[in-house]
Amino acid sequence: MSPEILALLAESLLETIYMVAISALIATLLGIPLGVILITTGKGHILENIPLNRTLGSIVNACRSTPFIILMVAIIPFTRMIAGTSIGTNAAIVPLSIAAIPFVGRIVETALREVDYGLIEAAQAMGASPREIITKVLIPEAMPGVAAGLTITVINLIGHSAMAGAIGGGGLGDLAIRYGYQRFRADIMLATVLILIALVQIVQSCGDHIAKRLNKKQIGGSSHA
Amino acid sequence: MITLRDIHKQYPGANGGVHALRGVTVEVKRGEIFGVIGKSGAGKSTLIRCINMLERPTSGEVIVDGQNLTSFSEQQLREARKGIGMIFQHFNLLSSRTVFGNVAFPLELAGKSKAEIAAEVIPFLELVGLADKKDQYPSQLSGGQKQRVGIARALASRPKVLLCDEATSALDPKTTKSILELLKDINRRLGLTIVLITHEMHVIKEICDRVAVIEDGKIIEQGSVLEIFTKPQMTTTREFISSIVNHDLPDIFTGTVFSATSGPDSNLILRLSFIGHSAEEPIIASMIRRFNVDASILYGNIDHIQQTPFGTLIVELSGDQAGIQNALNYLRARELGIEVIGYVARNTRAVG
Repeated sequence: MSPEILALLAESLLETIYMVAISALIATLLGIPLGVILITTGKGHILENIPLNRTLGSIVNACRSTPFIILMVAIIPFTRMIAGTSIGTNAAIVPLSIAAIPFVGRIVETALREVDYGLIEAAQAMGASPREIITKVLIPEAMPGVAAGLTITVINLIGHSAMAGAIGGGGLGDLAIRYGYQRFRADIMLATVLILIALVQIVQSCGDHIAKRLNKKQIGGSSHA
Repeated sequence: MITLRDIHKQYPGANGGVHALRGVTVEVKRGEIFGVIGKSGAGKSTLIRCINMLERPTSGEVIVDGQNLTSFSEQQLREARKGIGMIFQHFNLLSSRTVFGNVAFPLELAGKSKAEIAAEVIPFLELVGLADKKDQYPSQLSGGQKQRVGIARALASRPKVLLCDEATSALDPKTTKSILELLKDINRRLGLTIVLITHEMHVIKEICDRVAVIEDGKIIEQGSVLEIFTKPQMTTTREFISSIVNHDLPDIFTGTVFSATSGPDSNLILRLSFIGHSAEEPIIASMIRRFNVDASILYGNIDHIQQTPFGTLIVELSGDQAGIQNALNYLRARELGIEVIGYVARNTRAVG
């Protein structure tokens, strides 16, 4: 493989990492509050608000049931408004984030649902406010699940970012389409696929490691009084 | 210290919902250990949650330490709850925090600085005997140790009242005993008022001063533990007590025919219960001397409730009928519980 091709691969890899990292960050920052609202406004929970809960739930479902490639095209006007353009790496971050926010929201909701309601009750009995329950009980207790969910989100984003390449989003997907597919460069196609596989493996291993570190529920060597 | 006045709690739902509490009135005195016993579904869990308003009563008043909690806003309630500790059947410790972090939690809520928290947590861990476990996580502890952390956490905010929600129901008998001893010790040392709910009568007998029996959302009987144990009025109360104090007739009476009336040569079988000082007087001996009757002790048992001796005897009186009647009248005039089981024909059984 020529040095030019290697440089191209490296550049595309950096673009992919950039797109995924920024959209994962945005999705996390907005998805965690969304997940918290989805769970705490549910029936019998600390901030019960059924109309808000139903409305948000419907929006989340609508976003999640739209295939990414269609979502990407459908929100082009919005993308142009935010990024100033609908083509390129920065523009791809908009639909990637929009798709990932509700995904993170649902994942965080599921992780928070796993927290035993007894802990919330105990915190209430100690005089904790809803905000304190969220920041000191719900989120810390759900962290292992949230970390595992964010790992899945990042992996999904890597897949979606390759799709964004199809509409000129840049990154490895773009490279694979333009060189590997349109110019019949099987070697480049293979290289991008291998890089994507490696990337996903690395993300998954890091995610598993973090989730394990955060989980204090299964520490061996229980002693008895 | 705690007054619950005509508390009703109704959960909405199909078929008119569930009426969990139906007019409960309870008065808990400062510094006492007050027990509420009931079967599952009787409403005891709802009752204890009404005291710190985790459950808001549908009607009625909750007054804790002079504050009418039923009139409080959420904000005021949060402040008031900091003066009411609570421990739980399943401990409800934060799995992501160490033992230290769990006990620090209420202090963080109270807005204390890191230095203040560090200084305050350790004495409470020492009080419950877990200072050496401060950096461990709850998953590394046994059930009894977890409950000790729960107790330290509940005490950290220096409450005046401690609520115990089936605090020993998930523990084995030996651990239960040690936790109950710890609660009793805290009650004495800190002058803490304790309200506990349980379905186990031995928990009541072990540490409570007074007890209320709850059934179907109503308090059916309440009084001092000694009173309830020695003179239970309601069937449910008797059932609870029978798990500790045997009110059934011993096996030796199986097949014996009892008659309600005396015959010319029948013996009288009595169950006598002695409480406190009457247990120390030689009542049986003086009865035998005075009335020329014989008394055979068929069954005997002595127990202590709150350091007060409490005994049961089943005796068979034999002699002439006038003597037996006089002896019975003599016993009835004494300070003891007496129950006529019946008359049996003489010599139908070997008397031991």
